[in-house]
Amino acid sequence: MPFSRRDLIRTGVAAGAAVSIPSVLRAQTAPSAARTARTVIGSGDLRVFDPIYTAATITNHHGAAIYDTLFSPDSKFMPQPQMVEKWRVSDDKKTYTFELRDGLGWYDGAPITAAGCVASIRRWGQVDSGGQLNLERTKDISRKDDKTFAIALKEPLGLLIDILASPLSSCPYMMREKDARLPPTEQVTANIGSGPFKFNEPLAKPGVSFAYDRNEKYVPRKEPSDGLAGAKIVNVDRFIWENIADEQTAFAALQAGEIDFLGAPPVDFYSVIEGDPSLNLQILDKTGSEVYARLNFLQKPFDNVKARQAMLHLIDQEAFVRVMAPNPRCGRTVTVFGSDTLYSNDENTGWYSKGGDPEKARQLFKEAGYTGEKIVILQPTNIAFLNHASQLLAAELRKIGVNAELAPSDWGGVVTRRANTGPIENGGWNIFITSGSGYSQGDTVGNVFFPANGDKAWVGWPKSDEFEALRIKWADVDALEARKGLARKMQNVWWDFVGSVMLGQTFWPIARRKNLTGLIGMPSIIPMWNMQKV
Amino acid sequence: MGAYILHRLGWTVIVMVMVGIFVFLLLRLAPGDPAAILAGDSATQQMIEGIREKLGFNDPLPVQFVHWATGILRGDFGASIFTGRPVLELISQRLEPTISLTTLTMIVSVTIGVSFGVCAAWQSGGLIDRFLSAFATLGFSVPVFVVGYFLIYLFAIKAQWLPVQGYESVGHGIGPWLLRLILPTVALSIPYIAFIARIARASMLEVLSEDYMRTAAAKGASSYSMLFHHALKNAGVPILTVIGLSFTSLIGGVVITETVFNIPGVGRLVVDAINNRDYPIIQGMLILISGLYVIVNLLVDLAYTLVDPRIRY
Repeated sequence: MPFSRRDLIRTGVAAGAAVSIPSVLRAQTAPSAARTARTVIGSGDLRVFDPIYTAATITNHHGAAIYDTLFSPDSKFMPQPQMVEKWRVSDDKKTYTFELRDGLGWYDGAPITAAGCVASIRRWGQVDSGGQLNLERTKDISRKDDKTFAIALKEPLGLLIDILASPLSSCPYMMREKDARLPPTEQVTANIGSGPFKFNEPLAKPGVSFAYDRNEKYVPRKEPSDGLAGAKIVNVDRFIWENIADEQTAFAALQAGEIDFLGAPPVDFYSVIEGDPSLNLQILDKTGSEVYARLNFLQKPFDNVKARQAMLHLIDQEAFVRVMAPNPRCGRTVTVFGSDTLYSNDENTGWYSKGGDPEKARQLFKEAGYTGEKIVILQPTNIAFLNHASQLLAAELRKIGVNAELAPSDWGGVVTRRANTGPIENGGWNIFITSGSGYSQGDTVGNVFFPANGDKAWVGWPKSDEFEALRIKWADVDALEARKGLARKMQNVWWDFVGSVMLGQTFWPIARRKNLTGLIGMPSIIPMWNMQKV
Repeated sequence: MGAYILHRLGWTVIVMVMVGIFVFLLLRLAPGDPAAILAGDSATQQMIEGIREKLGFNDPLPVQFVHWATGILRGDFGASIFTGRPVLELISQRLEPTISLTTLTMIVSVTIGVSFGVCAAWQSGGLIDRFLSAFATLGFSVPVFVVGYFLIYLFAIKAQWLPVQGYESVGHGIGPWLLRLILPTVALSIPYIAFIARIARASMLEVLSEDYMRTAAAKGASSYSMLFHHALKNAGVPILTVIGLSFTSLIGGVVITETVFNIPGVGRLVVDAINNRDYPIIQGMLILISGLYVIVNLLVDLAYTLVDPRIRY
């Protein structure tokens, strides 16, 4: 049979139509573009789904979407009930009783019971430092009835409600009892929570995108939304997290309207965003990010307090802020409790001088007995602002005659090397620069920055018995004013023994299309509820 | 021929075993601890230790190697440290975008490159030839990512004709699939067009100066017949070699294009796995890529017999 050109065209069109049918069908079942928000969160790729198994920021965002918490901080960072309807504490302050709200349920249809909360608190308590403190003080956590459970303490813990409300990773998310019974070193992969969003498993494309659908069964609180507390109202049908690894491409996608939200636009695009009438820059975390250098207390020269004090005087914070985040809102930071938290204060900050004091630093290094030994600075080359800060610090040290050497590697390499407690010749290090949410600086129990108990402390292994004695008291103080007083005393000691050196406060705005509104500005978590497309 | 193919396939297995041992040791010697990355930035040392123990990283290296190697012999390449999903499943999910991009790029590059080279040789010293020289210089010297960003700016942001990024499976329709592959294919094809065109031109020039071409012209053969029936067939072996080389280098070169255009292919899978020290994925991918290299080279060698009957194995 002859096959004409017309037959060929007909066959081609028919084949094309046939192959296109699935996309047509898919389009009919997906929510409209106006009811779908596409975002690039900007904290890397979501690889682990269990927010207790890992403390990764991206997993904490995931946890906030699909799980709920007993308490949440409001916009003033005060804890407010979330899943809890009411709670009371006994007169001796040793027994806390919690009653859950009506109507709470898991996605799989089962009602939320107190047993799940008891198991969740126990699991979380094994990994989070606040949770560990809670478990240390706890005599028993018990279910009273389906909606009620109690925490009985061996001794009062004034910080208990604050710890339960902490949005920092690892956050105490409530999970099903069968999930929460797994050891924390084993991942929960079910993704069945009770939060305002449901994880859409069939649409999950690891490394590419994840979808979250509105949880129709979610019952919001009656109070208005306030920070992470109050009503969690979902205004879109679906949220899609895109993983666009390349910053330039992610920004181009935002410009073209292919995404609505970009978590961390590159600094050099700020002026382009401000000049684009369809885009907006917005700072969500009003407490900013505090950048600091950890000094290795176990190795020379920073085993000597004079050398650590020298670093305080060397740093020109304005210069560091300029190379890290050239944003006019960024500034100096002289408090260990974050520049904008409830406990920020100016105790013992006489060391600060605008522009730094290199001569004083040189003198202090000399007094520390520094004789030109190599000082290794870990340099994460794939994180721009930390990379720049490391280079500037090396240059500043060299200017005063210190033999500074950069140890470049990607973040993965830095994370491994920073755990090395050995001397330089065995792969050790002297200085490691990192950052944390300003809000987390107000959390002396949960933030790894604070412990100064030597080899039990976080990398750098700072040691000050005096500071530790004060830090341990923190958990027992429940009045805000009393905690503020304690914060001053702690800071006084901190700047004497120099647990870490602050490099400045930075703000990292998000970029969004102007039709995406209702974003909640809180530290640590980017809440997907409340947002809407107009 | 059959014995030759079996011999070459035998070597493929040996190469893959050597690559496997090399990659396994290299990854363990390189700095980086997947348990620390997995646990998160503020994780305690206790958490990291717990994860390391659970993942078996505290076992001696030979034990870890035997565990991994015996798994491969059973067809089990292990599971991702992070997602817990089987490596082969993750790779197979990423194959379609990479195969789509490389195949389209090869079709475009070979079609345009060979035609361009033939025309330039035919009109040697003429306008087309000079244009080819300029294009080849540009095509080799401008990096793919620069071309990519330029195309995105021009066609996706300014003109808004094409999407900036992403990939649609061919199962969702040929139209959306093709639409998202146009810009990456163009960006990735440019250096290969230049490369293939230069080699095709040089081979054709050599053949066109042969005596039998003069004889064909004297016998009144048409330009078309001379170029495509007589010259191109005889210039085919070097062109085929270049196409084979291009294809193998394309497998590595596709990483940048996939990153710039956010195409979820195997290139990005490997880069992400390297950043996270996800050992099973890196090991699995490198073994498969090395096998692919050997097989493509074998296919190119076999294809020589099609264009040159004098070649026999």
